Amino acid sequence: MTSQPSRNWAWGLALLGALLAPLVVGNDFILHMMTLWAIYSLLALSLNIIIGYLGELSFGHAAFFGIGAYTSALLVMNLGLPVWWGPVLAGVVAGLFGLVIGFVALRIVGPQFAILTLGFGAILQTITNYWVDVTRGPMGISQIPAFRIDSLGLDFALAQNMYFLALGFLVLGIYACRALEKSRTGRAYVAVRENPELAQSIGIDTFRTKWMAFTVATAMAGVGGSLYGHYLRVITPELMSLTYMSALVIMVIVGGKGTTLGPIVGALVYIVLLEWLRAVGSWRMVVFAALLIGCVLFLPGGLVSLWQRLLQRRGRS
Amino acid sequence: MVFLQQVINGLANGMGYVLIAMGLTLVFGVLRIVNFAHGEFYMLGAYATYYCLKVLGLGYVPSLLLATVLVAAAGIAANRFFFEPLKKEHEFTILLSSLGLALLMTNLAEAVFGADPKYMDTPYSDEMINLGDITVTQQRVGVILVASVLIAAVYWFIRYTRMGKMMQATAQEPAGAALTGINTRFVHAYTFALACALAALAGALVGPTAMLFPTVGDWAVLKGFIVVVMGGLGSVTGALFGGLILGVAESLGGGYISMGFKDAIGYAIIIVVLLWRPNGLFNPPPMRK
Repeated sequence: MTSQPSRNWAWGLALLGALLAPLVVGNDFILHMMTLWAIYSLLALSLNIIIGYLGELSFGHAAFFGIGAYTSALLVMNLGLPVWWGPVLAGVVAGLFGLVIGFVALRIVGPQFAILTLGFGAILQTITNYWVDVTRGPMGISQIPAFRIDSLGLDFALAQNMYFLALGFLVLGIYACRALEKSRTGRAYVAVRENPELAQSIGIDTFRTKWMAFTVATAMAGVGGSLYGHYLRVITPELMSLTYMSALVIMVIVGGKGTTLGPIVGALVYIVLLEWLRAVGSWRMVVFAALLIGCVLFLPGGLVSLWQRLLQRRGRS
Repeated sequence: MVFLQQVINGLANGMGYVLIAMGLTLVFGVLRIVNFAHGEFYMLGAYATYYCLKVLGLGYVPSLLLATVLVAAAGIAANRFFFEPLKKEHEFTILLSSLGLALLMTNLAEAVFGADPKYMDTPYSDEMINLGDITVTQQRVGVILVASVLIAAVYWFIRYTRMGKMMQATAQEPAGAALTGINTRFVHAYTFALACALAALAGALVGPTAMLFPTVGDWAVLKGFIVVVMGGLGSVTGALFGGLILGVAESLGGGYISMGFKDAIGYAIIIVVLLWRPNGLFNPPPMRK
């Protein structure tokens, strides 16, 4: 284990690199990919709270991403609220959904929890798909206003601006996850994951602990959804589908669950491969599936554990 | 009469759900695997039947049988390569591995069979049977009849044959079963093959009543999950009643409330059931620690 200060240094350097990157890149397309990477990282981090810290598999996480995207777009467009209210309200509404659904679903653990969250996700997607009066149905919502600061002339529909905004939210997300990891609450999560009975016996309220983490995770996914909607400016109920659910799970597992770096690495791998393999069409998802299976079978700690393995090997020789 | 018509249609769909769910529940009961990829064997069964009909020019019944055998073999391979290596792992890992397998199979199917929907017409899909005011296609009647026979056969198999008893023993206590000389590895492979064969048969029977596309497996496994959770994971009787209840409830809900929300009805049911009786309606064996 690396010591704490040197880790903070590493994060600081990474942030500096990320801030300076656009100077070096200067290519709009790559900046666009990097912006998506930051947004996906935030989403993957939020799912990681459930998979990595709570040790439960949620198959409904994409629904909260969708709720965030729809809440933000609809409130801003229909009520004429300033666009900056979007992410806040998206987080609150997705968190409220998470609060209610978590209250119900967390009574059950293991495979049934995964199935139940899958069910909630499917209901939310069905409603989004068929409540045409509000959500405009399968066609989705287009021409969603982008974030902008008129006084400075900043238009966040452009990748060169949005990148920094998304990065800002990602940094907040990372900070929150790291703080959570080190706090009493975070340690309580781990205790509940490793041994619920023992955790309960030392006075941890297992249910409330899980409930809170679930709510935080869903709120975070909602914020991610809002950013995604106002950046790409088109959303469809497809966001809540099994495709996005699997994508998020792949990011967390391939990157490395239970770590802060893992989901970010996973999101990078996902984005890069998605673009790189565009030419092969349907075979693209086959590669992702193979990657997921490969990690499950041979690399349970995900890609970030390769680094640790390498360090250990060097230490031994 | 509209009501009765809906019930009959619901029963035909429900029988398909029962066949899917029985495999899912058997695999959970005996191997302790929640198989997310189960629906893909339904998809494979339907596609295999389609290609036997169209490409090989076989009759419907031979196609159905050939498809079942092929898919059962695929099931044995899937168990061997994706689930057996994880036998000692946490259920979480196994569920993830099955999700990976499901993604792999759906997308391979899309790459190989193409994403365009296919329509499988059998000699029975356009022939109507009139019973008073009710009209049913022969295909649907066939689904109900064949599925009933299959369900009875599965019951008989589990209860009275040597293999069935070995499966029960393995489900109750794997270590104990192994001690009495049961080859549990063989039992596992056998159960998996049986479950996949049932799914393939469901695909071959129900496939012709709707369009066929590569993601149909997602639909199948979601229905199977609903049924299995409703009836209780691991309970065969639960799968039977759960499947019929879901089929009829969807059909009535679709007819009287809204077609669009039909698919949400099942989830609404399982949410209520799980809150009320987390282990399902039909007392499955107590959950393993």
